[in-house]
Amino acid sequence: MRRLPVYLLLDCSGSMFGEPIEAVKNGVQVLVSTLRQDPYALETAYLSIITFDSKAQQVVPLTELSAFQQPNIQASGTTALGEALALLTKQAEKEVTKTTHEKKGDWKPLVFIMTDGEPTDDFNKGLAEFKKGKWGMVVACAAGAGANTDILKKITECVVSLDTADSATIKAFFKWVSASVSSGSMKVEETGAEATTLSELPPPPPEVNIVL
Amino acid sequence: MNRLQRKGISQYRRIARLNESALELEKAMHRAGVTPEDKEKFLDWAVSSMWSSYKEERMNRRIIIENEIRQLGLRFPNGTVKKDYNFTFRLPSDRISDVELLGAGEMGLTLNAGDQGEYILTGRPVSIGDYTLTLRYRTVEGEPASELNIPIAFNPNPRDLWKNIATDPRIPYYKPDRETAYLMVEEGGDGSARKDMVAASQRGRSHAQEGKARDDHFALYHCDDSDWYILAVADGAGSAKYSRKGSEIACATVIEHCKQRLLDNPGFERAIHEYEADREDNDKRTDVTRHVIDIIYNGAMKAHEAVKRTAEAHEGAKVKDYATTLMFAICKRYDFGWFIASFWVGDGAMCLFDEKNRTAKLLGQPDEGEFSGQTRFLTMPEIFRDPEVVKKRLRMTIVPDFTALFLMSDGVSDPMFETDRNLSDYDKWEEFYRKLKEGFPEDEIGGVDLSDDNPEAQYQLLRWLDFWSPGNHDDRTIAILY
Repeated sequence: MRRLPVYLLLDCSGSMFGEPIEAVKNGVQVLVSTLRQDPYALETAYLSIITFDSKAQQVVPLTELSAFQQPNIQASGTTALGEALALLTKQAEKEVTKTTHEKKGDWKPLVFIMTDGEPTDDFNKGLAEFKKGKWGMVVACAAGAGANTDILKKITECVVSLDTADSATIKAFFKWVSASVSSGSMKVEETGAEATTLSELPPPPPEVNIVL
Repeated sequence: MNRLQRKGISQYRRIARLNESALELEKAMHRAGVTPEDKEKFLDWAVSSMWSSYKEERMNRRIIIENEIRQLGLRFPNGTVKKDYNFTFRLPSDRISDVELLGAGEMGLTLNAGDQGEYILTGRPVSIGDYTLTLRYRTVEGEPASELNIPIAFNPNPRDLWKNIATDPRIPYYKPDRETAYLMVEEGGDGSARKDMVAASQRGRSHAQEGKARDDHFALYHCDDSDWYILAVADGAGSAKYSRKGSEIACATVIEHCKQRLLDNPGFERAIHEYEADREDNDKRTDVTRHVIDIIYNGAMKAHEAVKRTAEAHEGAKVKDYATTLMFAICKRYDFGWFIASFWVGDGAMCLFDEKNRTAKLLGQPDEGEFSGQTRFLTMPEIFRDPEVVKKRLRMTIVPDFTALFLMSDGVSDPMFETDRNLSDYDKWEEFYRKLKEGFPEDEIGGVDLSDDNPEAQYQLLRWLDFWSPGNHDDRTIAILY
């Protein structure tokens, strides 16, 4: 079976402490329970979560949606976004099945990155690793005014921003992510190709602004 | 001494001992300087303060055990509604007792205790959603029961989530969501069994989910006069809005064209015989090829043009709105064996399967682009401009006999074969044939009885097309000559 891998990279630095991190946890919960109602996603989408604070950690390896369990996420430390990108590349290389003559591999992964600050580590090193990977749609989300969209633009063309990192806004973002995964899993089924530009995703809600 | 006397003596001794202890306590208090008027208050204080510290210690023991239990990090794996749930875990039986799981009953689950602190949670979850179970247990006697909340989630069965919304019959070019055909060919004059044809086409779940029409099509024809068999399968492109009509026109056109060309064609029949007699002879090969081109290639060309004309007649429509793949074959049995000629553009699979000689001959090559889903269509003009078109897409073969000729859309071949490489692997075809005959018992999907003269085979085939394959929910069409 061709799986649709979905990687979430979530900023868990100290600045996310309190309402934002609770909203993120809640968002992951909403994402999973929504996708479980969608037959395309339930069959094909696989989810992994990589968190980053002072270091990056894959808290949930690529897991089928039906077996996914909410990880324990806490906010503290700095923002090792570079390390997170390198870890993402390494794990995807391991977890995503490649196509061979006998077997069709997985679809290219969908990646959603959410951060509220600026990387505090060697970002360019991680970015260079990331650029070696094969990705489907990559969406980076700048949550709140403290996030640096210029940095995110280096990762992907598709950058969105949230004006504030409050729970309603973060929830809206996650709802949009879940709609995007839904449409992505349907699209691969119907047309046999992954989405690669924002215009192929469902229109974002008013809380989510597209950064041009 | 009688019993009463014995009882009296033992009672006396007990009182004597109590008096002795009270006296010792008196003395101790006196030595410590407790005045007689403070005695009662002091005793009250001493007992209550020791009682408190006793209770505190007991509570501390409970909290320590509660922490230990929490540290176990017990989590329940997710379940699926109406499917057996079974999870075994351990709890330290020397530390806790009276274990219950509150809320389990309402969810259709039961907790049973096994040996040495083993617990088994089983049952069939009743409803979908995220829930919390409460593990209740006792730690230290006299302490209240402890509780630990553990989340549990039940998924829907993905198969229950698919909707089957009928296609609106008022849409342009409506066609039924499913179709079957069986063409029984009566036994020959010599009483020998003759091959029959069966076909079925089922709308894919991805279309059914949204009430969209089936885009696939097939057609079968047997000419009783000339004894030619004709089979066609076409797969309308999912992204093209009128492809359901494109596939229909393509099938109908090639059947009609071949039928006319084959009805009375002594030149072709002679060419086949001469070619069969001397297959090394290039001229004879060229001669029969010329006929095949007239019948097969021109049939495909006509189909292309017919689709184009329909598109042009439909205001606002483009040819690519009718995009469809097409494969078709003409087959006839002679005393020397079977002559088969075919044309194939697009994906899917067309294969001459011979179980006796363990061969599976693919009648062409599936057009797979660099990325899956990027196939070629009959409706693309470059197909016929390609100088290699005859070599690439036409096939002509003579075989003594065969088990079955299969034509199928990629809705069947993708889940069954997965890659192009596997399509050339005899073992995969043998496995496919077995699945076709035996069905999928684990999913309660029966097989197809491909014995001679069994018209039921068409309905069995239609039901078989409902097989489950995650991520593969395209329209499915298969036509078989056997």
